[in-house]
Amino acid sequence: MECSFALTGKGYVLIAADTTAARSIVKMKIDEDKIKSLGPHLLMAYSGEPGDTTQFAEYIERNIRLYQIRNLYPLRPPSAASWIRRALADSLRSRKPYSVNLLLGGYDTSNHTPSLYWIDYLGTQAEVPFACHGYGSYFALSLLDRYHDPEANLEEGLAVLRRCIDEVSKRLVVSPGKYRVKVVDKDGIREIEF
Amino acid sequence: MNTFVNRFSTNNALSVIRKAQAVVDDDEEFSDAAWGSEAGFGSLAKGVPSFSIPAVHDPTAFLRLHTDDHADPNCRIKIQHGTTTLAFRFQGGVIVAVDSRATAGSYIASGTVKKVIEINPYLLGTMAGGAADCQYWETYLGIQCRLHELRNKERISVAAASKYLSNLVYSYKGMGLSMGTMICGWDKTGPAVFYVDSDGTRLKGDLFSVGSGSTFAYGVLDQGYRWDLTDEEAQELGRRSIYAAGHRDAFSGNTCNLYHVKEDGWRFLGNYDITKMHYDGPGDVPGSAQVAYGYDVRVEGRTSSNPPAAAATA
Amino acid sequence: MEYNGGSVIAMVGKGCVAIGSDLRLGNQALTVATNFEKVFPVTDRIYIGMSGLATDVATLREQFRFRVNMYTIKEEREIEPESFAHLVSSTLYERRFGPYFIEPVMAGLWKTQAGEYKPYIAAADLIGCLNFAKDFVVAGTASEKLFGVAEGLWEPDLEPEDLFETISQTLLNGVDRDAYSGWGAVIHVILPDKVITRTLKGRMD
Repeated sequence: MECSFALTGKGYVLIAADTTAARSIVKMKIDEDKIKSLGPHLLMAYSGEPGDTTQFAEYIERNIRLYQIRNLYPLRPPSAASWIRRALADSLRSRKPYSVNLLLGGYDTSNHTPSLYWIDYLGTQAEVPFACHGYGSYFALSLLDRYHDPEANLEEGLAVLRRCIDEVSKRLVVSPGKYRVKVVDKDGIREIEF
Repeated sequence: MNTFVNRFSTNNALSVIRKAQAVVDDDEEFSDAAWGSEAGFGSLAKGVPSFSIPAVHDPTAFLRLHTDDHADPNCRIKIQHGTTTLAFRFQGGVIVAVDSRATAGSYIASGTVKKVIEINPYLLGTMAGGAADCQYWETYLGIQCRLHELRNKERISVAAASKYLSNLVYSYKGMGLSMGTMICGWDKTGPAVFYVDSDGTRLKGDLFSVGSGSTFAYGVLDQGYRWDLTDEEAQELGRRSIYAAGHRDAFSGNTCNLYHVKEDGWRFLGNYDITKMHYDGPGDVPGSAQVAYGYDVRVEGRTSSNPPAAAATA
Repeated sequence: MEYNGGSVIAMVGKGCVAIGSDLRLGNQALTVATNFEKVFPVTDRIYIGMSGLATDVATLREQFRFRVNMYTIKEEREIEPESFAHLVSSTLYERRFGPYFIEPVMAGLWKTQAGEYKPYIAAADLIGCLNFAKDFVVAGTASEKLFGVAEGLWEPDLEPEDLFETISQTLLNGVDRDAYSGWGAVIHVILPDKVITRTLKGRMD
């Protein structure tokens, strides 16, 4: 079952998403990238209904890019989050809503602050220091309440992320095998070998 | 004139007798079966419990119709569901920790429920699912354990006690019993924990958590658990895990009851308010670092911003 | 209403009104965040609180801000509480056959001809049926419990500090009996010249 995690640390946001694409009881692919770069300092992990996920993510990606082309500057994380939330909320009341859950992590270069937004398929938004989507949240949230530190350096942050993933692998009946991990900080976006 | 006064007086000797007679008369209108109990001992007094069954074609379906709140949230009888309970075995014995919340739908019916049932000085049972089911059958188990002791001049093992309960609830399978319990204790083999539920599952293990908040408890418990935990560390871990579940799960909370089972039987360690643990920590108790458990309290004043040194001073 | 949880309450005092909400954002039994405010300023003397589906709380907050701004530009004056209540009502009724799943609670002060400020509170159901009250209004998953406590604690002509105490005790004790509300609270007391906002520590379970 799909799981994604994200947590903030000193000057960065870490985002991890599982890499399985499942259909019915079959794993169709085991190295799918479910984290998109929406700008030089903005990452989005998406999960949910197959089809909706990629369609919606690409729609968001293109529109955020369009904004940057038109205005020379990219949207800052809070504005991007608001805009994406509204897109989901509007879609909810359309004939065919997207069912996509998002974790949006960004680094605001103007005030040197990393920020993380939890957005669900209904368009519910919350700014949080750490977040999860999927069944993993039932195990990882209490763990993060205990171990998360907003001033942790990257190694410490990765250690906490490792704890989350290990816990979910240990307890969840059908847990994802592999995860892709990306980080966004003042220098931009990087993928981390995990 | 006095007779008139006496007739309507409520506090003279005659009227007291009259009232007593009325009560006795009332009593005689009903057969013993209508009370469903024998001198307050319930059906336990007979040895083999028996229950009156609703007079309908399919009693099981009838009960399900009126208790299953997944199918119909407005149904009459609501069975308590939300709970967090945990128990784990370690080098120093068994730790048992539970919350104390009882909910009926979204209503918090009580915040002071005892979810650990003290079966006898060496055995504890935890309560999740139907409160009455757990209370009744674990008390019943206590009677059987005592009888075993008298017959065999030896305490019952935890394995045997839990097997007895498991077989018992299995015989009622499909009739709507709802319980998820951990039978914990110390016997010849040392500390022992068994998970028993109303499906008939019975599992021996080192670490279990049961209830709607169990996943949250597992998150903290698994990460902090080692066999060679000291007594104090283990007690702290039990408390911290119940706090975690109380904080994140809407249907768990209020207080945490903590027990420690050792070679000489169980000991009740205390009752800890979950909100107090959030803001101030558990207080001056063994194993506690005297810090607040709450995330917001713990990280107050810490920030993820990393302005460059020049910008910070400017 | 029970999907995200949360509750809102407003009360009338003497020359002042108070409005408050809890801070929980849930996903059914799971508590996702404990910093989710449900009460927002409309003007300097009007606040609106919304309980219910969190996505609609956010959407309607944006919607109301837009409509109040348009009103201000067209009328060249600030909106009065009663007009705002009707604005809310019409906005909700526009979605009569596919409603927003929220119950709004409004609190404000309106200026009389004589120039003094009178309290005004109102609530509505999810399709905009307005309910004006002289004492208090409640909404959300803990509404039944809040009604009970408020009925016992509220009295007429409370001074601002007493009103603050009354609404705080009502809210905190009401949500303590509700599994879906709580995790802290925020209260705004609206006075003619200022608004007092306080965040309350509540039970965190």
